[in-house]
Amino acid sequence: MGELKILRCGVFSVVKHDYLPRAVAAHSRFELVVVADDADQPDWVHERNQLFADEFNVPYVKDVSKAIAEYDLDLVAVSPQAERHCDLAVRAADAGLHVIADKPMSTRLSECDRLVDAVRRNNIKFLLWNRNYLPSVIQAKEAIDSGAIGRLQAIHVDFYFSKDAGPPKGTRQTSDPPIDWLKRQIDAHTDGSDGGVGVDPMGELQIEGIYPLGYIHLLTGENVHRVFARTTSHFHQANVDNNVDDLASVSLEIGKDIVGSLCIGRIGAASHPDIGEIKIHAIGSKGGLVITEARPEVSIYYRDQPPLEFKHERIANENDFLLMDNFARSIDTGIEPILNAQSGRDIAATVFASLESSKIGAPVEVIC
Amino acid sequence: MEANDALSFEMVQQIGLALDMEHETFAAPKNIDIIIMIRLALISSSETAKIYAGLSTRLHRATWTVFAPLDSSDLSQALGSSAKITSPKDLFSKETDTFDAVVIDADSPAAESLANTALNLGKPVLIGAIGKWIVTIGEAKALLIPAHPWRFIPSIQAVRRSIDDGRLGSPGLLRIHRWHPSCPVKIPISERLIPDVDLACWLFDDTPDSVWSLKSAANEDYLQFHLGFANGGMAIIDLSASLPSGGDYYSLTMIGGTGAAYADDHHNMNLLYSGGQPNAIRTNQGRIELVQQLQEFVDVIDGKQEQSVYLADTRRALQVVEQILESANSSEVVKREGPK
Repeated sequence: MGELKILRCGVFSVVKHDYLPRAVAAHSRFELVVVADDADQPDWVHERNQLFADEFNVPYVKDVSKAIAEYDLDLVAVSPQAERHCDLAVRAADAGLHVIADKPMSTRLSECDRLVDAVRRNNIKFLLWNRNYLPSVIQAKEAIDSGAIGRLQAIHVDFYFSKDAGPPKGTRQTSDPPIDWLKRQIDAHTDGSDGGVGVDPMGELQIEGIYPLGYIHLLTGENVHRVFARTTSHFHQANVDNNVDDLASVSLEIGKDIVGSLCIGRIGAASHPDIGEIKIHAIGSKGGLVITEARPEVSIYYRDQPPLEFKHERIANENDFLLMDNFARSIDTGIEPILNAQSGRDIAATVFASLESSKIGAPVEVIC
Repeated sequence: MEANDALSFEMVQQIGLALDMEHETFAAPKNIDIIIMIRLALISSSETAKIYAGLSTRLHRATWTVFAPLDSSDLSQALGSSAKITSPKDLFSKETDTFDAVVIDADSPAAESLANTALNLGKPVLIGAIGKWIVTIGEAKALLIPAHPWRFIPSIQAVRRSIDDGRLGSPGLLRIHRWHPSCPVKIPISERLIPDVDLACWLFDDTPDSVWSLKSAANEDYLQFHLGFANGGMAIIDLSASLPSGGDYYSLTMIGGTGAAYADDHHNMNLLYSGGQPNAIRTNQGRIELVQQLQEFVDVIDGKQEQSVYLADTRRALQVVEQILESANSSEVVKREGPK
């Protein structure tokens, strides 16, 4: 029996959270060999890339083409500013490299389409980062697939992240300038509330919508056809100043006559003892299913516990490992990854349609 | 108000006992306050009357004195032994001196006529069936309080208090899931919608600007709707009456600007092991909502508090329900016209 090849991975920018390249590094089938980015990026980008490269003892190359040419890569992990996700991914795909990309897929649907074309044209595998292998999500999938609730009729996901995001709404003095989106994201890197890092301001639907919509896609196996949405900037001054949502609700019309909804928000650290209330509700022809995404977890309380420390610790979470396992299997066997480019693009289309619906106050068809 | 100043039989007994004991062991009380008891009549089925009977000792300054059943079941224990039993017709012709106020917990057509009769007699009415007639009823001749028991459920009261005292900040998003088992006798969807529509309007203290709703092509007992309130407030609610026979499920989340409240049956489940997979069993909230509602009715009659539920609330809920059904049938967003 032959040994499976260790897949050589380049990290094409690591300016947001580094969970993605860390997950690659942690899996035995993958090896990080280089960090690369474009030379014309600002200093803060190079600093973060260099820091990560140093930690993993790999070179940092300020030339993406050179890294592709010289490091014999099999795949890349792409995690730059959001508006650069697709461009770096397309350049890797055009070089015949498989791609794992951070969310959101892009800030523009046209870029998502360009990426889907590149993936097809080059016959490579693409995985959009997601949470579909969390234990409770797997449980939901198994329950639905087993027919325990009959034919799926409705699905609802609540996805509230209880993170803060800078000063609360209403705290800016009239003499103060509006909060600069990118500057705040850069500053927020230390506390991990920089989920929307990039020049283009993004609301919670754009930043995190992929996760709950990924659940819906996984559990229904269908695309969303039409949406009606409401969005608001309810919590954070940065969202108000940049006219992007931090709270949204979306009614969904999904394939196979399934209906559903999504509620999403960055509701602030005070609003939940842990990372947030995240639930899946499903109704089928024979019953219903209520799933808390955080389970299994262990409750830990102690004297002098820091107020922002989560009181309930998630356990047995192998999402990162299973995603990488899935991607390795995809490369080995040719099966499609759990969330591929086309599905990621269709989810992005749902997000953009929701934003449009919220703007015009009417339902909007999703272009899939 | 026709509050009766006679002591109830039970109260006479209690005070009598106290007086007897006082001769033997206790100093005589300087004053014995005469508690004015509101005498309540109940019009309902005998099954419903058993529920109200169980609440009688928890009511302050009120007692059941007469019961007018709407069926012919065994009535011997329906409302306790002390309540007189009569027919709804006789209640309003021969027994008008035996009660001060009426609680009507009956289906809509009967309730409408009975309520009007009571009001014409000047009797305060708490009415549980809140059909369309409430929209058209004019100035009532006596106090008429529509029953909105869902507002008095302990978990909902806790959520409301957290909004009222400012802990949650400005309400932003209300999410409700309400799933019932399927029932051979289908409750009209308009009736099923009223509680959660009213809760949404009540918790936002507003009427929605826009309404969008979706039916399920695969499930005629399912409806979801999406309400838009001023200042970006939103509510998204799904109702199903298609679960297998057995338990129901309810979940209400209110996300505010500075906090959130989660009233979720999922959080209140215990486990029962009796072979196979364990069963989830919900911890019961009892019938506190009926006690609270009745007590408020009594207290309003007694002049001890303002009512918290008005006909205008019911009318508003009914109006929004109509918009929800209109949206579901037309696949159009229904926007409010004119002033609130």
